[in-house]
Amino acid sequence: MDKKLLWRSPWGYRESLIIVAALTVGGWLMQLIAGPFNFYLLHRPVNYAVGGLIILLAFAAVPLRNRPLVKWLSGGPLAVSLLAALLVLSLIMGLTPQMQKQPPHGDFFVRLGFTQVTDSWAFVLVYGLTLLSLAMVIARRLFRPGRRVLFFLNHAGLWLVLAAGGFGAADRERHVMHVTEGQVEWRVYAEDKQVLELPLAIRLDDFDMTEYPARLAVIDRTSGRPLPESNPHFFQIDMEQPEGRLAGWEVTLQEYLPQAVTAGAEGYQASPMPAATQAVRVIARETSGSGAGGGAIRQGWVSGGNRFLPVSPLMLDDHHVLVMTQPEPRSFTSKVKVFTQAGQEREAVIEVNKPLSIGGWMIYQFGYDNQSGRMSNYSSFELVYDPWLYPALAGMLMWALGSLGLIYRGRGAGGEK
Amino acid sequence: MTWQHFNWLAPLAIALWLLAAWSAFRHKKAVDVFMIAGILVLGAFIAGFWLNVQRPPMRTMGETRLWYSFFLSGAGYLAYRRWGYPWLLAFSCLMAGMFAAINLFKPEIHSIALMPALQSYFFVPHVTVYMLSYSILAVATLASLLQLRKIGRGKSDPKLYDFLDNLVHIGLGFLMLGLISGAAWAKEAWGHYWSWDPKETWAFITAAAYLLYLHLRLRPTVSPRLTLWTLPLAFALLMITWLGVSLLPSAAGSVHIYS
Repeated sequence: MDKKLLWRSPWGYRESLIIVAALTVGGWLMQLIAGPFNFYLLHRPVNYAVGGLIILLAFAAVPLRNRPLVKWLSGGPLAVSLLAALLVLSLIMGLTPQMQKQPPHGDFFVRLGFTQVTDSWAFVLVYGLTLLSLAMVIARRLFRPGRRVLFFLNHAGLWLVLAAGGFGAADRERHVMHVTEGQVEWRVYAEDKQVLELPLAIRLDDFDMTEYPARLAVIDRTSGRPLPESNPHFFQIDMEQPEGRLAGWEVTLQEYLPQAVTAGAEGYQASPMPAATQAVRVIARETSGSGAGGGAIRQGWVSGGNRFLPVSPLMLDDHHVLVMTQPEPRSFTSKVKVFTQAGQEREAVIEVNKPLSIGGWMIYQFGYDNQSGRMSNYSSFELVYDPWLYPALAGMLMWALGSLGLIYRGRGAGGEK
Repeated sequence: MTWQHFNWLAPLAIALWLLAAWSAFRHKKAVDVFMIAGILVLGAFIAGFWLNVQRPPMRTMGETRLWYSFFLSGAGYLAYRRWGYPWLLAFSCLMAGMFAAINLFKPEIHSIALMPALQSYFFVPHVTVYMLSYSILAVATLASLLQLRKIGRGKSDPKLYDFLDNLVHIGLGFLMLGLISGAAWAKEAWGHYWSWDPKETWAFITAAAYLLYLHLRLRPTVSPRLTLWTLPLAFALLMITWLGVSLLPSAAGSVHIYS
């Protein structure tokens, strides 16, 4: 590289790095003076105006594409510098625990915005310049002949996602609504504990959950820890594979009841009651025992219990107990009817990974009364309103097609150079 | 098939791969037989295990290592067929064998349960494309180190540059597909397509590092060494994304920690 004087056009890597670094440091200074960036400044219609301005600038610059400033703004060195800055800022984000709210009197790094990078001026400024630079290179390439479909898909797709994600942050609404079984609810608590009325209401008709079969473990009677302590063994209950080994004991499953209630002194019987728990009847044989008959043999019921039924362990010897772990949930489902202010009504079953989309809102299964499990008499829903969702999805689709192009074309995907 | 079968199928696959790696230097004709047999053995275990647990075996770290071994051996073999570098095959075999061996010597708690958030049709493609991408980028990293050594000895190899850039484009393509499928899935499961969850943040960091390499390559004026060194750096970041995030203090509340 021949030594060009700094700041003499055309600007290259040195100038780009200095400007982007100055922008980042300037953002940090701004943060110290003015505090974090307030995203609500970008609330509609401001975000439309800023986004429109970026697009307008990008296209207005097309006829001036040979001017040094335009060349620099849409050029490779600035792209590399911006990527480097985004890398540094996201590394800060990846290494520092991020907080929802900043403590008012934090240390120096907290005041620089390190604990809430996405709301910091440095991040917003670099992000903004990235949007501008991307828009300019897209516009410039649009009016130039040559292979550019892949270039366009990747860059315009990314631009749409970044723009919709960034500007959309100001218009997005998110609430959690708790609904009691049999009731209709339309109110939520806002962050400041104020009651908010939403333009839609949910009636919860039924909440249900199902569980996976639990696991068995041998625990130390005094410490309560599963054995062997260095590497605990767990035995998955599965009647198709009823035999297993656990910390020196051979366990054979005899009978498994996914929904059981206590019956008699130490027994269980199947019952579909909501308060039912899992129970399994086992035989445990000590493998390390010596003598003709091997080791000790124990048999009986084991159950993890729940809020309504007791835990039922099987004592193996003075030091060891066979226990059942708490089962993991398989599914949570809420049967609901949703009403919107516009008069729409919809009955639906909402599950994790199966949200309901109605009137611009997405409704997600969010939580339930963990203590009661299947007995929970309420279900909570996450309600999300994001008017920028469709541009973002369109961007993702373009970007995905562009990625397929990268895979198919390899280094040829870079286009003509 | 259960993890018990893995105790003898994995050593078999590892042995076949090592034989293939050795043949690549000595008897090139035997490579295909050993390599394909090794991949088939592991593939058969994954298929049998999948049927047994009745869910995609992609949840625990141990299970994702199975796929990493599988794709790394597959990608290494394909790359060897395409470019003919024996060291490439040998490295892929060693890496694939190492990950299979980790599962042998350090079996983690394997569970049959799949939590509701993971029950989605996005699950399989999301994890698969990532494992594929990681495998390809691992090979690209190795190639970048080789190129650095060649530059150190005086001259870079233009053919190796072609190979390297091809791998980074392909690997990045899969990385992006993983990221986009993850975003689409997150919209369906968690309410938003991008929440800067620690795993997402690190995926962003990794993608930015590889994009940095591609954009640096656009201009020959940048020091070739600096450009090439971004690949080992990017791969280190990728490893943190995959394996290290759960150990970081910033990941305390991450929704990506499962087991």
